[in-house]
Amino acid sequence: MVTVDDRERRTKYDARGLSEPHANVPKVSDIEEGRASFDATGLSTREINLELRWLLYEEGIGDVTVRNPAAKHSIAVGILRRCNLRIEGSLGYFGLGLIDGPEVVVTGRVGWSVCENMMSGVVVIEKNAGSLTGAAIRGGDLVITGSVGARTGVDQKGGTILIGGDAGAMTAFMMQRGHQIICGDAGPGLGDSMYDGTIYVAGKVKSLGIDCVEGEWNDADTEFIDRKFSIYGLEKPNSFQKFVCGKQLYNYDSLEPHERKLVI
Amino acid sequence: MAAEERDDRPQPATLDAEAMAGHSFSYQHDITEVDGIDLMAVTPGKDLNWLEDIELLHEEGVPAVFDRYSNAFLKIHFAIPEGRENEIARKVLMAHLLSGNSYGIQLKRENAKFRQPLLGPWVESSETVGEDWKPRTLPGWERPAGH
Repeated sequence: MVTVDDRERRTKYDARGLSEPHANVPKVSDIEEGRASFDATGLSTREINLELRWLLYEEGIGDVTVRNPAAKHSIAVGILRRCNLRIEGSLGYFGLGLIDGPEVVVTGRVGWSVCENMMSGVVVIEKNAGSLTGAAIRGGDLVITGSVGARTGVDQKGGTILIGGDAGAMTAFMMQRGHQIICGDAGPGLGDSMYDGTIYVAGKVKSLGIDCVEGEWNDADTEFIDRKFSIYGLEKPNSFQKFVCGKQLYNYDSLEPHERKLVI
Repeated sequence: MAAEERDDRPQPATLDAEAMAGHSFSYQHDITEVDGIDLMAVTPGKDLNWLEDIELLHEEGVPAVFDRYSNAFLKIHFAIPEGRENEIARKVLMAHLLSGNSYGIQLKRENAKFRQPLLGPWVESSETVGEDWKPRTLPGWERPAGH
């Protein structure tokens, strides 16, 4: 017999940590010729994400537009297929986290930690982004047309973060692989405690962090910069400085092969 | 080996794809099985995207590529043409992922907690898994009284 207590427990608890575990797919999208769009006004975070998963995974739609996301947090997380996603409006924190494959455009601003742990894909933010942009990103391209807050690309393990404006304090803190391209200025502590990876800055650097040093420019850098600006149609600054790890603080040597594998 | 001679120290867990699968795969031995893979077609965007960061490495002295989806090295046993090291490493990795042989993919059927494509973003219209996940319980375990 199902008791009242049992029903209450099922309502309040989900082993995966889901809020609203019993929410239903709203199915409010307009679907036409393989494309879909829906207005997120009045939908909860979970309902928006359920609608997206229904479209992308069950209906096989490969091109989705979300209107009026109202700066809700944790929108479009965990999308694990190739698709085109357009978000018309701004997102709160942890938007587009853990994605693997989508090509996304966000027409507004985004809060903290957009694309946290992104595995692959392309994300273009057409305005500014908050702190911790691209935290622990593993791969793919994250393009922010505007400026970003502090600790962009903290713990970055791959991929490219391209910033059209300025970057805040401690950008690329503990960076381990990948690339950052900053067209504007960088705040204090750039590349602090980085292990590896490359940072290009076109503007002024307030100060370098511990063990971040200027690197020697080579043809591969020129090819990389030219290619990324060509793909995203951004105006390329005249020149960049290159920064890399000085390898005095931490380095991957033969004594720590297992640690090294964790960041490949 | 006598008991007193046994090495009881904890041994490091293997990170080798062959060890986890119990065998190697044909594309680790034959370049013709991977050479036709179109890397641009299997990655998002207008360049190699995440594969840019994939390079030929070495594991136990053997050329290898790292599979981040199972945290394991995939060794390459054929001769790699000079100048094509990273390209071949990427192609072997994609052959492994496209085939569904990556151990991380195999774990998805039982452990994926949310609906997702089984084979990942590199295969269009892949079967989805994870829609009916239930927490595992130990055989014979019962919920304590009052819980």
